[in-house]
Amino acid sequence: MSAKFLVVTRKELREALRDRRALGVLLLMVVLYPLILWFALHKMIDISTKAEHENIKIVVIGAPQVPTLLNLLQQKNVKVTTRSDMTDAEITELLRQHDYVGVVKISDKFTDNYVAMRPARIELWFDSASDLQSKLRRVESVLHGYNNTVAGARLLAHGVSPAVLAPIQLQYYDTATNASRSVQFIGALLGMFFVTTFIFCMNTAMDTTAGERERRSLEVLLAQPVRPFALISGKWLATAALAVVGLALELTVAHFILKWMPLEEIGMSWRVSLPMLFGMIACAIPLCLFAAAFEIALAMNAKTFKEAQTMMSFAILLPMLPAIIVPMLDLNTATWMYAFPVLSNQTLLMEVAKGQAVGVLPYLLTVCSSLLAAGLAVGFASWRLHSEKYVLGV
Amino acid sequence: MIRVDSVRKQFGTVQALAGVSFSASDGKTTALLGPNGAGKTTLLRLLVGLLQRDHGSISIDGLDPASDPIQARKTIGFLTDQFGLYERLTTREHLIYFGELNDMGPQEIGQRICDVVALLAMDDIIDRRTKGFSQGQRVKVALARTLLHRPRHLLLDEPTRGLDVMSTRALRRTLATLREDGCCIIMATHVMQEVSHLCDDVIVIAKGQTVAQGSPAELCERTGIASLEDAFVSLVGSDEGISA
Repeated sequence: MSAKFLVVTRKELREALRDRRALGVLLLMVVLYPLILWFALHKMIDISTKAEHENIKIVVIGAPQVPTLLNLLQQKNVKVTTRSDMTDAEITELLRQHDYVGVVKISDKFTDNYVAMRPARIELWFDSASDLQSKLRRVESVLHGYNNTVAGARLLAHGVSPAVLAPIQLQYYDTATNASRSVQFIGALLGMFFVTTFIFCMNTAMDTTAGERERRSLEVLLAQPVRPFALISGKWLATAALAVVGLALELTVAHFILKWMPLEEIGMSWRVSLPMLFGMIACAIPLCLFAAAFEIALAMNAKTFKEAQTMMSFAILLPMLPAIIVPMLDLNTATWMYAFPVLSNQTLLMEVAKGQAVGVLPYLLTVCSSLLAAGLAVGFASWRLHSEKYVLGV
Repeated sequence: MIRVDSVRKQFGTVQALAGVSFSASDGKTTALLGPNGAGKTTLLRLLVGLLQRDHGSISIDGLDPASDPIQARKTIGFLTDQFGLYERLTTREHLIYFGELNDMGPQEIGQRICDVVALLAMDDIIDRRTKGFSQGQRVKVALARTLLHRPRHLLLDEPTRGLDVMSTRALRRTLATLREDGCCIIMATHVMQEVSHLCDDVIVIAKGQTVAQGSPAELCERTGIASLEDAFVSLVGSDEGISA
């Protein structure tokens, strides 16, 4: 009697492993999600490294009038392309390509005004819709520097200290680090790892319940000398087993991707060793059990596979919510976060990835909250399978 | 031996069974006749303990399916009116699954599979996946799964539905063999020819109540009508049930 649920599990697994479509989806998710993660992080790293190392390109029109400015720009690593003349439309078109940060246009009367010590006009053309704003600020600072240098030189020629030009000294301190800027984004990304658990189980959860109803094989199964609890737990374990395999593969793939990427560039770290990774996967097993139980308890109420799919697509949003919303709120990690499945796994993974020592309680809460939820769902499903109302509907 | 005594079952305001009593003895095939909606399926579900009766008693070799469904089900082979199969499993895997669910050991299962394959002439489909099986093949698989654990009691809901002549004959032979082995067979059916050919006893149910029980000949005698079909119509009280 004790092994009845294993009989059911074995059969459901055998069936699931022969379902090419479901396995295909599983494999796709295993590979797809880490790839999305890789792409997103790659992009972030790209942006953050580009800003520091890559040359800033601008076009200067009428360059021969300002040799000093050209020198200053060169010193500040700004690549200058000189042009004799450009129409407004040409400039707009050039800036729209987002290749050049801006166009510095020296007016024809510049030299005359400069010599006469009248304000000599320099036009700075830029496209504020581009993402090159920080680079533009550097060009501006070079221009301001040029302004001060010329002013200083003129004052000095009149015997006045250039220091009069600087009554105050402004020093900038930005307390935001790359890490704090990217933490929300990455938190949400890591949370998505666990949301996929619900996708891994979905097909099997539906096939073993709603599918069984649709195929009209449930009544016979219920008439076998097996308790509803054994039937449900058999189906539950088979479903969860697939989720565990899927999640383990996914986390492993993601682990190697994260290990290999230069995450320091965006102030993130992946200080997870292989044993820690296995610990993480072990901690996620209760989550898989919960996901499977939750979906079975839901899908069994659908009469057909299609109906179950519709139901699932809504239901799957539920566990996603905390994983998406909580990182957005930018809260500090608190103990209560470990009391909610999905959110707890996400928080735990983030803390571990940061290299924090989390202690035993978070692990315990993570495991227990999922197990409790799984137990409730299995209990409900067994009770439901037993009820007359349900039997009448099969 | 199955005994049912004044069993009642109500779903909401609908009285599905309003006092059904009969007994089906071992070594006999008992037909369960009744118009659509007479409560046959409800009765069969009560017998396997899928539903709980409101009133009355049921005994399956002394076991009450309401209080001890697991033990009672072990002695029952239940063929529902739906022949749902798992299409990614082979026939053999189906049989192994249901054998294991009925606490059979691997050796016993192997032996019984040989038996039912021979009995139902299904060597050609035993190792095929059931996807795309014809109705006849599906019924065979369903029947094989019903018979596998040597149930003492067989509850069959329209077993010949969708079968061709050859398969119907094979099924009849099978049922005859089982009857000789001392099985207690209850068969819900609409085919009068089958009833007169196969059944020793007939129970007529109408509007949730047992209207009559007896051999086909007795029923004809009691109603004074020579044809069993006409006798049935007369017992049910109208032809409304047939057309419904």
